[in-house]
Amino acid sequence: MTTATLQTSALRTGESARTLLVAAFLGLGLVFVAGFAPAAVLHNAAHDFRHAQNFPCH
Amino acid sequence: MILRLVSAALVAGFLASVVTTGLQLALTSPLILQAETFEGGHSHAQAPSPAIAPAALIVHAHAHAHGPSQDPAQGGAEKPDAWQPEPGLQRMAFTGLATLIGGVGYALLLAAVMLALGREPTPRSGLAVGIAGFLAVALAPAVGLPPELPGMGAAPLVLRQSWWIMTVAATGIGLYLIAVRRVPITILGGLVLIVAPHLAGAPQSIDTVSSQVPPASAAQFAARSLAIGFVFWALIGLAYGWAWGLFGREASDRAHA
Repeated sequence: MTTATLQTSALRTGESARTLLVAAFLGLGLVFVAGFAPAAVLHNAAHDFRHAQNFPCH
Repeated sequence: MILRLVSAALVAGFLASVVTTGLQLALTSPLILQAETFEGGHSHAQAPSPAIAPAALIVHAHAHAHGPSQDPAQGGAEKPDAWQPEPGLQRMAFTGLATLIGGVGYALLLAAVMLALGREPTPRSGLAVGIAGFLAVALAPAVGLPPELPGMGAAPLVLRQSWWIMTVAATGIGLYLIAVRRVPITILGGLVLIVAPHLAGAPQSIDTVSSQVPPASAAQFAARSLAIGFVFWALIGLAYGWAWGLFGREASDRAHA
């Protein structure tokens, strides 16, 4: 596997780190809402998705 | 850069979840509906089961303490009040919405991993990371906690969620140590990390015997669930790499115009 570096013009570490944080935070938040949130309403709405994607469910 | 990453992740999550929703509705949702007819005492059972046997309801009422509360009395009192989608179209729509949210979430996480690894996203590199995502997030936890239909006995939710998260994290770091670092000591450490959660053991159900769900349906559901998970992750990776290139081209076109 070759380690290709990002060829974007904006390879400033600061921007990369901020982008990384935003993406990770948003991603974890969305996955939590869809897969883990304990509220009964969210559980019921996402029920079939949670079972199909093997999130631990009720 | 944030805009390009988030746009590409939205496109990838959308495309993958459209396909995955179709697969779920065709392959797993019918098995879930069928299993719910065996699941007395659970709120979902009322809706899609016209032919439920009254005896099954009596025997299984309070047999499964589902939901956020593990206390049967409390669970029984709280559940009927909670909103749930109407059977049929509304339920399918919410399954699609949940898949979309989950798909965009996974795509953002895949994007974050590719950025952290310093890999330029292409369909090819995206697919590689997507398959790693499938291995870490879908396959590894499924080894200890196989995909379950409603109504199958299972250990307390919090224990299973903790084991699930721990296994996903350990497998992900293990794959990184093996596939990216690739020197003998990290490969060894990666293998240890991948195997450790399974040696520790997933929280197992105390009550697997009384489940009425037919074993053939359960086995079919587990296999289909993993197959759909693979398609989901592979598409997220492919589409993210493709969309990243697409938005990059558009940005440079605008810059040259």
